[in-house]
This record gives sequence, C-alpha cells and structure tokens, in this order.
Amino acid sequence: MNIIKKGAEADIYTTKWQNKRAILKIRKTKHYRNQNLDSNLRKLRTIKESQTISEVKSFGIPTPLVYFVNLEKTMIIMQQIPGKPIHDLSNPKIISLSKQMGKLVGLMHKNGIIHGDLTTSNFIYFQKKVYVIDFGLSHKTTKPEDQAVDLRLIKEILNSAHATIMKETWKNFLAGYKSIVGNSKYLQIKNLVSEIEGRGRYATVV
Amino acid sequence: MIGLGIESTAHTFSCAVIKKNGKNGKILSDIRKIYRPPEGEGIHPREASRHHIENSSIVLSECLQEAKVTIKDIDIVSYAAGPGLGPCLRVGAVVARTLASYYKIPIYPVNHAIGHIELGKLLTGAKNPLVLLVSGGHTMILAFLNKQWRVFGETLDITLGQLLDQFGRSIGFASPCGVNIENLASTSSKYVPLPYSVKGNDVSFSGLLSASKSIVLKSKADACYSLQETAFAMISETVERALSFTEKKELLIVGGVAANKRLSEMLKDVCKRHGCKFFVTPLKFAGDCGSQICWTGLLENQIKKGVSLEDTFVTQSWRLDSVTVNY
Repeated sequence: MNIIKKGAEADIYTTKWQNKRAILKIRKTKHYRNQNLDSNLRKLRTIKESQTISEVKSFGIPTPLVYFVNLEKTMIIMQQIPGKPIHDLSNPKIISLSKQMGKLVGLMHKNGIIHGDLTTSNFIYFQKKVYVIDFGLSHKTTKPEDQAVDLRLIKEILNSAHATIMKETWKNFLAGYKSIVGNSKYLQIKNLVSEIEGRGRYATVV
Repeated sequence: MIGLGIESTAHTFSCAVIKKNGKNGKILSDIRKIYRPPEGEGIHPREASRHHIENSSIVLSECLQEAKVTIKDIDIVSYAAGPGLGPCLRVGAVVARTLASYYKIPIYPVNHAIGHIELGKLLTGAKNPLVLLVSGGHTMILAFLNKQWRVFGETLDITLGQLLDQFGRSIGFASPCGVNIENLASTSSKYVPLPYSVKGNDVSFSGLLSASKSIVLKSKADACYSLQETAFAMISETVERALSFTEKKELLIVGGVAANKRLSEMLKDVCKRHGCKFFVTPLKFAGDCGSQICWTGLLENQIKKGVSLEDTFVTQSWRLDSVTVNY
C-alpha cells in the first residue's frame, strides 16, 4: 500500500483488490476535533460517499466503482481512475473541459444530487472522459438554494486557483450546465448565485 | 521612512508609528483606545464614532510621544478606508486628511483586511502563507496569486467573531466576548451535538448560532464548549481543505479571533498533519491596531506617491480580493 495523497478529509492509498489496482480511502481520526463529533462526521461521510458514488452512475455520471466499504474503519476501497485531476491540466485543456464539468453538475442537480465539494481536483480526466469523485459532502435535494451554493463553490475555486482563465472557464461551465437543466432553470440558479454572493461579507451590492 | 497609521474601522481607535528600513519595519509606538458597549449589547456606530472623536487627539499625541518623534518627522500618513462602520471610518479619515493637508504629508487610504495580513507577515516572517483571517468583520481563507489575495473559502453568512459575540451577548457577556466564552468553555467537556455546516471550502454559522442559543438553558458552560468545538472544527476542516488544495507550506492566522488558544491548538494539529509551518500573529497585534494600517501604507509607498485629498474615500464595503497589490 502506497500513500498517494494526504487529503483534507481522508488519506488516499493505492492498493489491490481482487488483483485489480484500486484506491483505498480512509477517513482517519482527527485528534483536534471533539471525538464525538469526529466519529459522527467520519461515519456519515463514508456512508454518503459510498451511496452517492453508486447512485449517480444510474443516470450516467462516470464515477469509480465501489469495491468494499468498512464502516468501522471508515474506509472505502474503490476503482482507480488513473487519469489526472482537471486542476493539474494545462489552461487550454481546463477551458475546454469546463463545459463537460458543467454538464455533469447539471446532470447531478437535475437528478436531485448536490455534490457539495465541487473543485477542479474532484474531476478526473481519463481516456477522454471526465470522472467525478469525492462525494463525502454530497446530499440529496432539489432545493434551488443548495444547487446555487454548489455552483458558487466551483466559481470560487475558478476565481482563486484559476484566476487567469476564470472568465472562459466559468462561461463554458455555465453553457454546459444550461444545456442540461434548460434555460429557465439555468436563469433561476444563476440569479440565486448572485444573490448568495451578495449576502457575502462586504460584497458590492449592485 | 517613518509612517503614521490611523485605525478606526470598528471599536478601536488607534494610532501607530513605524520606522521602515528596506524590508524591515520597527513599531515605535501603537496606542489604542477601545470603545466598550454596555454588557449584552453590540457596537453602536454613533456611540463608537463619538468615542473615537473624543479620544483621537489624546491617542495621536501619546503615539507621537511614545515614538519620540514629532509630526514633522512623519513621512507618510495612512488611514483605514474600509471595510468597516461608516461613522467610525470617517473619524480616522478626517484626522488623516487634517494632518495631510496642514502639514503637507502624503496620504494613503488602506484596506483594513490587507493590513491584518501584511502586519501578520511582518511580525511572523511568513513568506508565502495560506492566510486565515478571522475577526469580527471577516472569516476568510486566502492565498496570494497574480497580484491579488484570492479567496479560497469564506463564511456564507456571519463571521466567526460575530458568532462568538452574538452568542456571548445572548448570555450576558460584553463584546468582544471571545475570552469569556473561551474561559467558560474550558470548564466543560460535555459535547452537545450542534449543526455542522461545511459547504466545500465555505462555512455557514447562522444555524449554529441559533442552535447554540437553544441549548444554553441546560448549561452555559456546555453550550460554550460545544459552540467552540463545532465552529473551530468547521474552520479547521476548511483550512485543511484549502491547504491540501493549494499545497501551501505555511499557514498564518490573523485577526482578533487569532487570540483564541483552542483555535490555535486545533490549527497547529492541522499543520502538523500537512507538514506545514504554523504562524500566528502575536496576541498584542492580532486585533485591530494602527500598526496594520501604518505598515501597509509604508508598503504602498514603495510604488506610489499617495493620493490627492479628493480621493481620500471611505468605503464600508471594500472586499480585500478587489485590491491589486503591486508592491
């Protein structure tokens, strides 16, 4: 077992499952957190992640296959997608893939799933396909407010980590999103995103 | 180069003198008078600005005296132009404009939040940190990229400082309530489950505030303890997310809530996990002070000559991610 990433929430290792290369994701105890709170969060997220990752497959979101879940150890073994996170790709590539990211998010929202942690590191590009990972913060709802918070998240990341290509990526992302959810839904959510930003601290109210 | 900085964004009126030599700055004096609202109440902008007006001349003269300089020695004057409470901001701006026009000193409007970060960097020596800015006005996770501080995460509603203050006031403490809550929390270890709301890199505290108020009746100490544990765990988690996303090797905490020991302890643990250096602004300069304004003004002086009096604005809403940093 080799560690490949010490994530915020979990440690990620490469391992083997039935002779196939696999990923082991384990949510370890965080000593800084109250232990009650900590074990609740870790359990809840392990359950959420393994459920949602399989559920979204049913409507065509490419995700890793879940092989095994151990709730006691808050650990999931899943298929390895040996591609690259979109975050690490070249700028032109990120711009062109933004539309696909928007489509995938649209598809999830349309089917009542909020991802909850939309960053460019949670989309993996592999063999011309974009996979979605990391469903620990996902939840089931069709509330427009939650969908807008989801979009605001990825906008924030584009605006910070990819500031130089923010305009193009956000435009493409929204185009992809709109193509799935339809124009009226798109306008509703887009307005809500502005409203949420307006609620932010010291936001310029236009 | 000697600078005078004036801070008056909220409850603090402060003047400071800093001597800048190349990249080093030495704080010669930092004098403050803090407006204290009655117990159970928050800042009243009119009362706070009246307090600032009454104290401005005393603070200014004490500050020059302690620094052993006269107004003639001052090369530039800077003031906090926002974000903050309008009536309070205007007091600092008026003092700065008066000095600038009467004594012909170049004047610099400074963003208060950038001031927190720049002073934190000066005092801790952090080079390229991920910054956690936690105060009454801000709860933000920031990193510097392409001449601007970029927001990697922030609160979607109230700030950590407001959460603590509003909760504290509801149980009868006087603002700022952080210390009282911390002390009371340390007497309990009974965790009552409260709403934990992390949305990606963002947090939301309003639900937590209402829920905490509803468990107060049983035990104030348990409520304080559970509130702190929940809120700080939320912050720590978003910091951890941002650290792992940006792969920064330094974390710097600035702002008034940086003084909280429990929060520092948790963030230290986060840093250990990520092999990251931990910096926290020294207690005395974590909260609002003239030094943060003065130092940022001195940095701006490296690249521009100050602004004309017509452009000495104040803005209540002035997001720090809209400021271009060229120095």
